[in-house]
Formats: sequence, C-alpha cells, structure tokens
Amino acid sequence: MNTMLYHGEPNGPSLTVLATLFAKDVQAELVHIDLARGERHTLACAQEPQVAMSVEGEGPVLVVAGEAMTDSVFLACYLDEVGQGAALRPADAYGRWETMTWCRQMIERTAPAAAYLGCRAYPPRADAALLQRIGSVDLRARWQEIMAGNFSAEHLSDSRTKIRQTLEKIEQRLAGRQWLMGTFSIADIESYAWLAGMVSLVPEAFVGRPRATAWLERVRGQAAVGKALSLARSVDPAAVWSVGPEINRWG
Amino acid sequence: MHSVTLYHWEPNANSGKPMLALMEKGVAFESHYLDLLGFDQHKPEYLAVNPQGTIPAMLHGERVLTESTAIMEYVDEAFEGPRLMPEDPRDRWRVRWWMKLMDQWLGPSFSMIGWKLFVGPAVRDKDPKELQAAIERIPLPERRVAWRKAISGAFGTAELDESRRRVALGIRMLEEELAKRPWLASNQYSLADINGFNLAYGLPVVWPELSNDELTPNILRWLRTIYARPATKACWAMGRTNMAKRAAVLEQPHGDSGQRA
Repeated sequence: MNTMLYHGEPNGPSLTVLATLFAKDVQAELVHIDLARGERHTLACAQEPQVAMSVEGEGPVLVVAGEAMTDSVFLACYLDEVGQGAALRPADAYGRWETMTWCRQMIERTAPAAAYLGCRAYPPRADAALLQRIGSVDLRARWQEIMAGNFSAEHLSDSRTKIRQTLEKIEQRLAGRQWLMGTFSIADIESYAWLAGMVSLVPEAFVGRPRATAWLERVRGQAAVGKALSLARSVDPAAVWSVGPEINRWG
Repeated sequence: MHSVTLYHWEPNANSGKPMLALMEKGVAFESHYLDLLGFDQHKPEYLAVNPQGTIPAMLHGERVLTESTAIMEYVDEAFEGPRLMPEDPRDRWRVRWWMKLMDQWLGPSFSMIGWKLFVGPAVRDKDPKELQAAIERIPLPERRVAWRKAISGAFGTAELDESRRRVALGIRMLEEELAKRPWLASNQYSLADINGFNLAYGLPVVWPELSNDELTPNILRWLRTIYARPATKACWAMGRTNMAKRAAVLEQPHGDSGQRA
C-alpha cells in the first residue's frame, strides 16, 4: 500500500509521527514540507476535511491508499497497529486508557501552550496569498494573530503555567519508573515532542525535576527518536514552530 | 453487586457516552446519578471519587476512570460484547479523528450555547451565597470560569457568533460525511456514532433551521437509526429531565420531524 508522510521539522507533531514511524519500521515515502511557512496548505489534499479541519493545527499529513490522515497521536496509534516490533501502547485495557488520557492532556493542555510559546519565540511566516488558502477559518485567524505579533499576556502566562504543571506531573509519574507508561510508549514520544523546545523557553519548569530531565535524555536516546531528529534541516529543530492547537476557548 | 459503577448526569454529551457504550456492550452497571445543576459533582462525596469534579467517572473494581471518550475505548476493550471499534486500523484512526473533532472543536461550541440558554438560567435563581460556595468548591479553574460566566450570562457576542459558526459548519461536515457511508467513521456502528449521537440527538429540536429532513437527510437518517437501537432507547429512558426527552422527536418517521422546536 502506498504510504506518504508529509512532515515538518522534527519537533511537536511531526516528531511524534516520524519517531513512531521509525520505531514501528513502517515504510513510507517521506516528504519534507515547511509547516512554519504554511506549506501544508499547498498540498493536493489540503482542502479535505480531515486535513483542513485537523484540531492539531499545522501538523503532518499521512496519506495511505489515497486517504489523507492527520492528528499526530492518532497517526501514532495507527502506525503502532500496522507496524512491526514492540507495541508502543500497553497491552492491557487499563494501561491503554492511561495512555489515551495522558495523551489527551498533552493534546488539549500542553500542546496549545507549547505551540503558543514556541510561535512567540520563533514566529512562523506564511505569505498573504497562502493564508487565504487555509480552509479552517479559526486556524487562519490564529495564523493572522501570530503573524501580527498579537499574543495575550493572559495566554502567555497561562501557557507557562501549563508547561510547569506538565513537568510537575511527569516528575511525579516517573517516581519508580523509567517511562511514563512503564515501557516506552506513544505517551513518551508525544510528551517529549512538545516539551523538548520548552527547555529553553520555560527553563524554570525543569528546575528541580531530576527525573523529568533524565527522562528527556532517555527519550532523545531512543534510536527512533534520534533517527527522526537526524532529518532536521535546521540547526535546532526544537526552535522551529508553527501554529498549533487552539487554546481551550470554553470550559 | 456490579463490578462497574458509573457516576453520570443525563444521557447527554459526556455522561451519555460511557452510559451508551456500556449498554451497547451489555455491561450491567450501578448507576449514580449526579445532578449537574445541583452541583452534586463538586460535593465532597463525589470529589472523593474524582478529585477533578468532572462528570462522568467510572469505577471498575478498585480503579477510577475519567475522560468520557477514553472510558469508551476502555469499555470496548475490557468487556465482552459487540466490538464498538472497527478492526481496520485506518477505520480506527477515522473513529478517533471524528471523536476529537467533536470533543474539542464542535462540542465546546454546542456547550457554550447550551450553557448560555439552559444551564445559566436554570441555576441563576438559586441563593447567591449558595452559588458562590458551590463555585468555590470547583477544583478546576477553567470550570470555575465557565460556571461564573454561565451564571452571570457574561458571554460576548463575538464568542457566541463563533460558536454558532462552528455549529453550522459542524452540521454540514457531519452531513457530508454521513452521505459517504452508513455510519460516521466506518461501515460499522462504532464509538464515533455513540459520541456523535450524544452531541447531535437534539439537533432537530434545538437547531431545526440547520438540521432537518430537507437540509440534512443523512444526519436525520443516522440519528433515527441510532435511537431505534434497544440500548439507546434504554439509555435515554434513564434521563430525568426534559433534556433527554428531546430524543423522542427521533421516533417520528421521515417528514414528520425537524421542523418543530
């Protein structure tokens, strides 16, 4: 079956999918696109609902047998199911529930915060004509706000809080264990992918967190993660950001 | 005594998801009804079960599970009964994609409007001191903000307009997807349909100008088919308020629903 992965720099959602793809030895044609310039919206599949309306914002697109698929955690679940080698989710239902709830927290709370802080420090830039091609009105509005430099003090502060809370949670979770779910899993990959770039942007979140700091190194040391990082075209892929998921607007 | 206990509100939105999933699987459970409008979910006895104070929560043996969509996947995997996730990995991806869109993008817009129209007015007349105390017991800061806003009615025009835009677009997306296949995310009834029914069963009553037999025949066909399932009927019969009774409009055949508010 023909599989193609359109991915950006190995950071955030692209890192999640690339590392999972390599860990599971899934064969795919890899196509680098510049998510930070909005190149996803030039793809032939850009207006398909699952691409245009992806809640994740600017993430990779996996095309399998003509179907364009998005949202990195679910792409990782897909790759875990079709690939080979060690499973990247626990075998028992409770462990899988823990993995999905952990990733949901990352998707809903940590990822929007990290992308917001990342985009402020390293703003993505798309030209005006390309912005008009963005199918999702709310995603286009986020692009416009970011490119205009409109970052709210409230969201910035809340985003830093969420990164600190994530590190606190990881530190607690790693008591007596090497990996978040016991064995190396999608939860480790997804968490690392959003947090690697926060070490320099929210350094206080990592202070006094020896387990989390050592865990970051362990994740980086995984062969599949290293292979994903080796695809970087920039000196520091953790400093390349594009527009991420929306910060929770209600409740 | 059952090994499963579910703490839930009405068969609606997040509460209804694990309720219906358990009933489709044929898993008997002990039901603990929490009155959301009476702030039962923030009382000490429930916070002892789920310190976040969110509904629903499920006990399975000694374990406490939260997050309605993740609970549904757990229910499907942990118990015997008909599979509610398709076998094909790509179909499974599609189920998860749609559930995320509904949980994180479309659902909150329905919810904002619902809280403005129903939840706020329903609790606003309570004793202000009682309300203040109830809000202060809410563990999650986001939920405290949401309740304050609902009670004071302090929704901005722009955010309500944005929610209405998303509701209208979401309805169109559901209609287009349901024109492709019998069920939302694959050719078999799945968790995406359970999730979607909880979100959309009230459409013909609440949004008749956007969802009716003429404009959205596939949504109406889908909702009626789901409501005709014995598990759905039994689940919605557990409702105690008029909210769940809105599903009764789905008893009507084609052409006799969708235009009545």
